[in-house]
Amino acid sequence: MMEKKQLRKADFVTSILLILFGIWELAQSFQMPMRDTYGGVRNVWYVSPALMPLVIGFGVIILGAVLMINSIRTGGAADFIKSVQSFSLKISDSGVRFIGTLLAIGTFVYLLIPRVDFFMSIVFFLSFFIPAFAFDSGEDLKKLMVFYGGVCLIMVILFITPAADALNALFMFATDVLILIATIGLNIYAARLAKGDDTKRSRFRTGLIVAIVTPLVLTPVFRFFLLVPLPHEGGIVQLMQIIYYSLR
Amino acid sequence: MEALNALGGFFTSIGGLVADPINLLVLFGAVVMGIIFGATPGLTATLGVALLTTLTYGMNQSTAMIALLAIYVGGVYGGSYASILINIPGTAAAAATALDGYPIAMRGEGGRALGLTTTASAIGTIIGMIFVVSLSPLISELALQFTSFEFFLLAFFGIIISGTLTSPDLVYKGWIAGFLGLFLAMVGRDALQFYPRFTFGNSQLDGGLEVVPVLIGAFGIPQIIQVLKDKFVPKQAAKLDRIVPDFKTIGRNFKHIIRSALIGVGIGAVPGIGEDIAGWVSYGTAKNASKTPEQFGKGSYEAVVSTETANNACIGGAMIPLLSLGVPGSPPAAMLLGALMLHGVAPGPMLRIDHPGFIGEISAILLLASIAMWIAGMLLAKQVVKVLRIPPAIFMPIIAVLAVIGSYALGTKVFNLYLMVPVGIIAYFLTEMGYPIAPLVIGVILGPMADQNLRRGLMISGGSFAPIFTRPVALILFLVIVFTIVSQLPFYKRWMGDLRSRVAERRQARSSSGANKPE
Repeated sequence: MMEKKQLRKADFVTSILLILFGIWELAQSFQMPMRDTYGGVRNVWYVSPALMPLVIGFGVIILGAVLMINSIRTGGAADFIKSVQSFSLKISDSGVRFIGTLLAIGTFVYLLIPRVDFFMSIVFFLSFFIPAFAFDSGEDLKKLMVFYGGVCLIMVILFITPAADALNALFMFATDVLILIATIGLNIYAARLAKGDDTKRSRFRTGLIVAIVTPLVLTPVFRFFLLVPLPHEGGIVQLMQIIYYSLR
Repeated sequence: MEALNALGGFFTSIGGLVADPINLLVLFGAVVMGIIFGATPGLTATLGVALLTTLTYGMNQSTAMIALLAIYVGGVYGGSYASILINIPGTAAAAATALDGYPIAMRGEGGRALGLTTTASAIGTIIGMIFVVSLSPLISELALQFTSFEFFLLAFFGIIISGTLTSPDLVYKGWIAGFLGLFLAMVGRDALQFYPRFTFGNSQLDGGLEVVPVLIGAFGIPQIIQVLKDKFVPKQAAKLDRIVPDFKTIGRNFKHIIRSALIGVGIGAVPGIGEDIAGWVSYGTAKNASKTPEQFGKGSYEAVVSTETANNACIGGAMIPLLSLGVPGSPPAAMLLGALMLHGVAPGPMLRIDHPGFIGEISAILLLASIAMWIAGMLLAKQVVKVLRIPPAIFMPIIAVLAVIGSYALGTKVFNLYLMVPVGIIAYFLTEMGYPIAPLVIGVILGPMADQNLRRGLMISGGSFAPIFTRPVALILFLVIVFTIVSQLPFYKRWMGDLRSRVAERRQARSSSGANKPE
């Protein structure tokens, strides 16, 4: 949690956002059927679907206003205005780690999981996420973020253009192969960053093992034992299926 | 006769559960997993329950409940490992334990401290279980008389009280979190008229937000971000000697155990209030009642026994409103509610009618889990302690993968993942800014109950709020809600302050006039 002074400053911004949110929520609620007929049922205010949203909207606005008054009284608003005047774009170390975490989770959920083979997406994700933080070096984190972010950007371009479909039509599992190549590249790059430092090298090795073993355990458990159809079953998952059904 | 029947059912449940070796395997596996989750700073019992929920999807209802309750019990107890050995609470529930547990470990008695916490936790869980089996049916019976207004007020009370008691900064931040949770619960088609609310024309939102991905997002993602962003470095653990149960010390502290267990059950039964508050309240009470309060903070056995009994007794307490009213008593219980619904069990007053014997089965599982926890704690503590050496940068990414697949697997909808991430990021910022997450989660869970019952109640009364004032339970709940809100307002605090100082002045005047009286 933030320090007291920071909290009051943040309260000022949050209170504005809350009041705006409350107003938007009320505006949406007033569009819901209040008296007119909906679905053949004649409405009265107390059975309207807008009733609870209205209570919530008014509640949020009132509490947002209380928060704002408290922030103004305790000097949070003044501090916020001062900090806006002396605003600089310098990102702290913890800020970089925060962005790194969001980059990893965001790309994993929105880019890799729905489009790339489940197994490969986990290996690629962990190959970045573990060394990036386990190396415990701000410089290494930034370098790995640039490499990983670059690959993700290429993947985004591939997927938003017809390029990915064209590639997959050319030969099966082309995007999975691309991610495989990127994963190997990422690991070579991470290994180079770990060179000459025993702690980093040992963490890189552990990370690599974890990155492979985790999907190796999770994929069969979910796909074959819990019978959960995976979000994208590409080359590796299909290979696992062939092995699993030939062994059964 | 009914009590004897219940007792018979309870022992039959135990027999039935123990007879299946798979159940025993799941019981011990989940308890150990819970201890590992609890012991590892950054992972919590709630997260453990959340992630395991997905894996229980394919299990039958009894086995699933064994797994979830065992990880819950193990998780709450496991927090004491890190508290005692590295002075960093593994979970918030064990924060109070660190104050005295670590000094004990520093004296070279880490094994003895862990032995004490293991036994105290087991006793706490068992006492909590006794209350589940005895109180839940009574409350269910009472709740059968509830009408829509009572249920609406109960849901609202849960959100308000949880917001009031869990807020680390300003009280109304807890209420704001509750309202945000209520808003999330409004997304989707409403249950009475099927009108789409806040769906933006997206058919994926028609069914509303699924509870489990929201909970995983709210509890898991902030945890991952926080641990990695704040660069948590594992500390060298204190040396651990032989783990001994030390029944003599337990016997000497028996009154502390009983009192702490009662505190734990009481606090657990209040909606949304977790094991951490139970631990602190119990610590404070034990210190006030102790003959040697000066020893607290320097390695007092009384303190360690009190906090650990209370936080584990809280589990039983949290199960009481969950099973009898459908209102979760703590964040892990909120997660359990999601899991119960997943397995086709709707907790609440109708539970005893729809699933007779279920409360007995839950109590039996709690008893078995406490025994399994005691055995695992005594035998495996030295091995479990090794997890404290794993850097979070290695295990947090795995937790991220588990959170993602856990959110996806329940509904096999990628859309759940798209929701989980923003919910997690918002929850992270809210936590950073001093907003508690428990009321938000309680709001998400109790939102439909509040909405439907308010409208249904008004429909029956023809738009009149009069039943709130004519029905005794509704009136009590209403007054408690009003008092909870009013007691936080500045004018009330000023008035109470004036009143206190006036009383103190009068007392002083009386005592000074008494002293000046000629003999």
